Amino acid sequence: MSDTALVAVILVTLVTVAVGARGMRVARTPADFLVAAREVPPVVNASAISGEYLSAASFLGVAGLVYVDGVGALWYPVGYATGYLVLLLLVAAPLRRFGAYTIPDFAEGRLSSPLLRKVGTVFVLVIGWFYLLPQFKGAGITLAFVMGTPYWIGVVALGTVVTANIAAGGMKGITVVQAFQFWLKIVAIAVPAVVLLALTHPRAGALDRPVGATFPKAASVSITTPIAFNVTKAETVTGAGQLDGRTLTGPVRLEPGRHRVAAGSTLRFAAGAVAPSAIGIDELQGTSWSMPFARAGNGRQHPLAATYGLILATFLGTVGLPHILVRFYTNRDGASARRTTAIVLLLVSCFYLFPVVFGVLGRLEAPSLYLTNNTDSVVLLLPQIGVDGAGGIVLAALVAAGAFAAFLSTSSGLLISVAGALSHDLLDGSVRTFRWCTVLAGVLATVAGLRVADFSLNLLVGWAFAIAASTFCPLLVLGIWWRRLTRVGCLAGLLVGGLTSATAIVATMAGAGQSGWPAVLLGLPAIWTVPMSFLVMVVVSLLTPGSLPEDVEDKMLVLHLPERLRGRTAVSWPEAPSVRPDGPSILPEPG
Amino acid sequence: MSLEPIRPGREVVQAPPTGLAGSRPLPDISDLHPGNPYGDVLITGLVRAQLGLTLGFLTLTVAVIGSLPIVATLLPGIDRANVAGLPVPLLVLGAGIYPVLVALGWGYVRLAERLERRFAELLSRST
Repeated sequence: MSDTALVAVILVTLVTVAVGARGMRVARTPADFLVAAREVPPVVNASAISGEYLSAASFLGVAGLVYVDGVGALWYPVGYATGYLVLLLLVAAPLRRFGAYTIPDFAEGRLSSPLLRKVGTVFVLVIGWFYLLPQFKGAGITLAFVMGTPYWIGVVALGTVVTANIAAGGMKGITVVQAFQFWLKIVAIAVPAVVLLALTHPRAGALDRPVGATFPKAASVSITTPIAFNVTKAETVTGAGQLDGRTLTGPVRLEPGRHRVAAGSTLRFAAGAVAPSAIGIDELQGTSWSMPFARAGNGRQHPLAATYGLILATFLGTVGLPHILVRFYTNRDGASARRTTAIVLLLVSCFYLFPVVFGVLGRLEAPSLYLTNNTDSVVLLLPQIGVDGAGGIVLAALVAAGAFAAFLSTSSGLLISVAGALSHDLLDGSVRTFRWCTVLAGVLATVAGLRVADFSLNLLVGWAFAIAASTFCPLLVLGIWWRRLTRVGCLAGLLVGGLTSATAIVATMAGAGQSGWPAVLLGLPAIWTVPMSFLVMVVVSLLTPGSLPEDVEDKMLVLHLPERLRGRTAVSWPEAPSVRPDGPSILPEPG
Repeated sequence: MSLEPIRPGREVVQAPPTGLAGSRPLPDISDLHPGNPYGDVLITGLVRAQLGLTLGFLTLTVAVIGSLPIVATLLPGIDRANVAGLPVPLLVLGAGIYPVLVALGWGYVRLAERLERRFAELLSRST
C-alpha cells in the first residue's frame, strides 16, 4: 500500500510545483497577473478559493474530531462553511470595490493610517503562523502513515517543498493550481466515502450502544509509540511485544484499569472486543457521542458556552483570514465577488458532506485509533480497513494524495501571505527580501510544526480563526459599514482583541485551563474577545472623533457604489489598486 | 430589504420632471461626489439599503443556525432522537444545515443584485 500512496503523494507534489512554475513564466508581473485574473470566471475563481481554504483541518481533522469527540465536532465544518455566508453578507462586494489586496492594505486605505498597516501586518503574521502549524502536523502524520517514517520527516518534507517552491518563485497567484487542488480534494474524499458507505454495512444502531466502540472483526493493532491506555471491560488479547512490562507470549487477560504497551508491540483483539482508549482520549460512551456540543479542554463542562465560542470564532474568523482575501481581488467587480463567494459556499458545503462519513464509519469499523491515539489519521486508515484488495490500495493512495493537496495548497497560500506581509509591509519589499522572508517564515513554521504533534488539527486551526475573528473581523465589518470608525478606535480594538485572544491561546498551549471555565474561556476565547474587540473599537471611536479620517464619505462611495455607475460620477476613481499604485504586496516584482 | 431607505431619490421619481423653468435639476450620477448634498443623501440611502439587506440575512442566519445549540439544550432527549437509525444531531449538523446555508447565500446574491439594479435605474431615469 505504501508504494502506491507514496507515488500518488509525489505525483501531486510534482504537478503542483510544475504547474506553479509554468504559471510563473506566464504571469511575470503583478500587472500580467491582474490582466489574467480578470479573465477568470467566478466558478474557476471559487474553486481556487475553496482549494486554498480546505486545509489539513478539513481533509483529515474533521473526521478525526468527529471520531473522537462525536457530533459536537461538526460545529467546526459548519462554522468553516458559514464563515463564507458571513463573508458574503458583510464583506465580499465592498472589499472588492475598494480594491485592497490585503487586510493591511484595507486598514491603511480606509483609515489613511500607515500605522494601522503595520499593526495589521503583525496580526497577518500571527494568524498565518498559527494556521501553518496544523498543515505541517498533517504532513507529518500522513507521511508517517503512508511510509511509516517518523513524524518529523513529513513536517520537514512539506516545509522544504513549499518553502523552496515559493522562494524560487513558484505558486504566485496561480489560480489554476488551487482550482485543480479543490477538485482533487473533493474527488479524493468523496469517492472513498461513497465506496465505504456502499461496502461497509453501516450498523446504524451501533452508534447508540451503551458501551464504547467495539472491533467489528478481529484486528491487529501495531503500536509505534509507547502508549498508556484505559480498559473499561475485561478482554483477552494476544500479540507480541511488551505489555505492562512483561513480554507477550500467549493470550493475556486485560483487566479494567490502566495499562501500558511498549513501542513496536502488536496487540490482537477478537471480534466484538471493546476498544480500549489511550489516556487523554475521553472516548464517548453510547448516546453522549451524539450530543451536538463542542468541547473545551479535557472536560465537557459548559457545553453551550464552548459551542458558542467555537461558533463566534469560525463564523467570524473566515472574514479575516489573510490568505483568502487576496483571492477576491481576482474577481472582475463587486457583483462577481458576491457570486464567487456564493459558489464557494456551495463548493465547501458539498465537500463537508464527506469527512463526517469517515468519522462515523471510523467509530464503527476502525476503533483501534482510540488506542493508538492517532485519531486524525482515520481518513487515511479507513479505506484500507473497509475495502479489500487492490481497491483498498487505490482508495488509500487517493486519500493520501488528497490530503497532501490540502497541505500544499493551504500552506503555500499562507506562506506567500506571511512572507509577503513581512517583506512588503515591514521591510523593503524587494524580491530578494521576499525570498529571505519566505525561507525565514518557512523554517520557523517547520520548527514549530515539529512540536504540535499532540494538538488536534482543528484545535490549531480554530485558534487561527479565533485571532482573526477578534482582530480583522471588527476592522473589516466596522470599516465597511460604519462611518464613525476612527484611527484610534480601530487601533485600540485591534490591539485589545488581538492581544487577549493570542494570550489566551498561548496560555492554553502552555497547559493552562484544562477543564471548567478556564478551559472554555482560554481554549475558545472568541466568545469574549470578539465582542470585546467590537466594543472597544466602537466606544473608543466615539470618544475620539478627532481621529476620524477626513475622506470617509469618499471611501464609503468607493466601497458601496456599483462599478458600472462609477464612470459617470464626478469622483476620480482609483484604477485597480485604490490603495497602492505599486501593486499587491504579495506579489513583488520579479527582479 | 427594499429600497425604502432611499427616500430622497424615490420622492423625486414619484414626482416626474415637469420641466418648470428654474426648478432644481433632478439628481444625476454626477451628483455622487462627497460634499454634494444630493450625492451624500443618495449614497447614504444606498449604503443603508445594502446594510438593511445584510442585517436581514444575518438575522435569518442567527435564527436558523445560531440558535441550534440553544434548541438542543432545550430538548434534553436530542442525543437519543433517531431518524432511519441515525442520530438527529448528526443528520442536522452533518448534512441538513448545508442546503440552508447555500439557499441563504443565493437568496442574498439575488436580492443584492436587484437592489443595485434598481438603484442604477433610479439614477438613469432621473437623468
